[in-house]
Amino acid sequence: MKVRIKNWTGVASWRWIANDDNCGICRMAFDGCCPDCKLPGDDCPLVWGQCSHCFHMHCIVKWLQSQTVNQQCPMCRQEWKFNNK
Amino acid sequence: MAGMSPSERRLQKELMSLVKEPPPGVSVDPDIAERNLLHWIIDIRGAAGTLYEGERFQLQFKFSNKYPFDSPEVTFVGQNIPVHPHVYSNGHICLSILTDDWSPALSVQSVCLSIMSMLSSCKEKQRPPDNAFYVKTCNKNPKKTKWWYHDDSV
Repeated sequence: MKVRIKNWTGVASWRWIANDDNCGICRMAFDGCCPDCKLPGDDCPLVWGQCSHCFHMHCIVKWLQSQTVNQQCPMCRQEWKFNNK
Repeated sequence: MAGMSPSERRLQKELMSLVKEPPPGVSVDPDIAERNLLHWIIDIRGAAGTLYEGERFQLQFKFSNKYPFDSPEVTFVGQNIPVHPHVYSNGHICLSILTDDWSPALSVQSVCLSIMSMLSSCKEKQRPPDNAFYVKTCNKNPKKTKWWYHDDSV
């Protein structure tokens, strides 16, 4: 028997691999987006600090911009450094 | 949740979890908070075995639309202001997480727990030494006060 495929539809699911379910700043799900965005995914990415804590990029950037003196991780208060792994 | 600002969305979530699973000694009237998410009144009870056992206090939380990037304004209100070395008789609280040490990972719940623990570790009920002067001269908003955090023992 020979089968000829006329067309097919691919379905995929995705999720961020983070050590928590929610962003510690906005409390929204990591698999959702920050409250300023409409759609989850690459437009509202997650970022990690060298301290290993993870946030929506938009959330942590907003926090760092509001801090004039010390730029600390909201979770552990270590100096915030982006982990560009 | 549609039509809510980011601050209100986070506050709505916090309110729901505080109503559903309040920590011991903390309770919030959801109707009051829901009417205006930027202004909450929280009842707290002095913990058993502490100087404040059996006492009831009210905490007022005011949030700006920059919350949680901006700390809430937290004061004791109502008839009973706890007599404590870090609480002024006008309800203002000297607690570093409310200003300099605020972090957006903190929450209404964690602030309440810090205040409860501040009360619980008190050894002697007394007002701050500069109470009279501070209450006469301070701004109505405690966040405008340049606090000196010099005593970590209580």
